[in-house]
Amino acid sequence: MSASRVIRLVWFVTWFNVRMLLASEFFILTTFISPLIFATLAFFLFQSGGGTAGQTLLYVALGAGMMGVWSTTLFGCGGAIAWQRWEGTLELLVSAPSRYDFILVGQTFGAVVLGFYGIVATLAWGVLLFGMPIEATFPLVLPLSLLAAIVSLGSLGMLIATTFVLYRHANALGNLLEYPIWLITGLLVPISVLPLWIKPISYLLAPTWGMEAIRGATIGAEPPLLAIAMCFILACAYYVAARYTLVFVLDKARRDATLALQ
Amino acid sequence: MTTTLPRPAMPSAPVAPADGHAIEAVDLVRTYHTHLGVLRRRKIEVPAVRGISFAVRPGELFGLLGPNGAGKTTTIKMLITLLLPTSGTARVMGYDVVRDTTEVRKRIGYVFGGDRGLYDRVSALDNLRYFAELYGVDPDVQRTRIGALLEMVGLTGREKEKVEGYSRGMRQRLHIARGLLHDPEVVFLDEPSIGLDPVGARELRQTVQSLVDAGKTVLLTTHYMFEADALCDRIAVINAGRIVALGTGSDLKGAIANRTIVEIETFGVTDEAVGRLRADPEVGAVNTEERDQSQILLVQSERGAHITQRLLGLLGETRIGKVVAREPTLEDAYVHLIATTGDDEARAARAASVQ
Ligand SMILES: Nc1ncnc2c1ncn2[C@@H]1O[C@H](COP(=O)(O)OP(=O)(O)OP(=O)(O)O)[C@@H](O)[C@H]1O
Ligand SMILES: [Mg+2]
Repeated sequence: MSASRVIRLVWFVTWFNVRMLLASEFFILTTFISPLIFATLAFFLFQSGGGTAGQTLLYVALGAGMMGVWSTTLFGCGGAIAWQRWEGTLELLVSAPSRYDFILVGQTFGAVVLGFYGIVATLAWGVLLFGMPIEATFPLVLPLSLLAAIVSLGSLGMLIATTFVLYRHANALGNLLEYPIWLITGLLVPISVLPLWIKPISYLLAPTWGMEAIRGATIGAEPPLLAIAMCFILACAYYVAARYTLVFVLDKARRDATLALQ
Repeated sequence: MTTTLPRPAMPSAPVAPADGHAIEAVDLVRTYHTHLGVLRRRKIEVPAVRGISFAVRPGELFGLLGPNGAGKTTTIKMLITLLLPTSGTARVMGYDVVRDTTEVRKRIGYVFGGDRGLYDRVSALDNLRYFAELYGVDPDVQRTRIGALLEMVGLTGREKEKVEGYSRGMRQRLHIARGLLHDPEVVFLDEPSIGLDPVGARELRQTVQSLVDAGKTVLLTTHYMFEADALCDRIAVINAGRIVALGTGSDLKGAIANRTIVEIETFGVTDEAVGRLRADPEVGAVNTEERDQSQILLVQSERGAHITQRLLGLLGETRIGKVVAREPTLEDAYVHLIATTGDDEARAARAASVQ
């Protein structure tokens, strides 16, 4: 397939999935409400803890928004596969001549696009309801940090989604992965408070760097260029890993007959 | 519904398969591994396909006919690269279904019956556009191709409506349009007429016929003998994972051509009475059909119509309604085949799979 065809395909799949996700009430609820709930909780916790500094508030709010975006991504990437299996379209996607990894990338982008909404909504919510000032030490780097952070979540979601192809009951697994990722990638609490042995795992997970990129841009002493770069590097690595996992997973799915429900 | 197929905008160079067959299956076997029970999970093996071989010529309409659980869908899924055979090989347009998956996928269309397999929340047009992209249809021809297919399946004018509002028949027709988007050389139709009303089913048969007229090879599965007989050049009857007969409709009928079918309407016939018929040396096979008030016994025999008196005698006290002796139909041939070929092993497998 030529590069232009691949780009066209990914673009198509992205927008198709944005529209499909927006047509699902459950998804709209998760995407549109959960970042706001998490952000609200964060605002109150922050205030009751006596915090006042605007920049720290922004950092905390964005962390909460990221938690919501992770839920969206997990549902958008993994849940979509479970749901397509249910609808009977997974077999059609797999038996199409297009490479399935491109389709998966498109689905991931779709989830990322909506994830971006989650972040924007969090910011707007903070400003409107809590009078949160949008102040950051590196305001110009902040948008890039946010993009990197969302890409980090999306790429992890994509990698996890590959296993969803294999297991008919992967949904349960997906729900299970929601909270641990919040914890070990520093979305909930800074990873500096986590036990030492978890840190190597944290640093292999792209969202850790995504959160670090946000921290750096809002309250850091230096621009978080390393963290931003790491997000994109790990995202590429995850794509390569996902591509090869898919070769194995699709082969196994054909062996074990797990593409359809029956 | 018109019966003209959209002409491919670009000449799709037909690759003549080396051996001259569009589809070729050799000793295909597929066993499923599943579990029984929730707490104490027991592993069981379901032998769904147990050694199937056949070859379909380019441009032929080939039917797979068999009862529920015979292995029709499993066979198709191996041919369309969605399932790996446990053993055996198969080729589509000369390409191996295990190794050359991309080449096979470019050349096949797959349509299954039922409600699934469409994106309900968007329009039919969006569904077709999306799949056209996935099937690698050239962007320049997408619009005309989709328009022609909508026309062919009679959905022109309704394509902007959401699929969730579609009737069964409309969905089925949309499925067919989807399966033909990339102008495949070989089309697999798994029970395409399931759930259609008689008019819809007849239109569907016309559509299938038009595919063959356009030079495509079609493999179709069905439960309906008359459908298989009306459409297919050749029919393979499969039962319990094996082909038990293969030939034209008249070949299959020929297998019991020298028989007579005696239809006896009874009211409250007992198992013992049916058993007496079955045990009689002059009787070939007995099948019963339940009606509202009565049971219809279909008795096959090589003795001609004059066996009727003897049969009525065997039924003894049973209340009898209408009695008709007639020539066998394809349906009788089919029923005969299924009744005489399900061996013990197969029955056990079927029993295991329904638990
Ligand atoms: N994924 C699966 N796991 C376990 N057993 C399966 C699976 N799919 C099919 N089977 C079993 O394999 C056998 C053949 O099924 P298959 O779907 O091929 O039959 P079929 O001829 O298409 O039947 P139908 O007319 O009902 O569609 C059945 O006993 C079925 O229960
Ligand atoms: Mg079937």
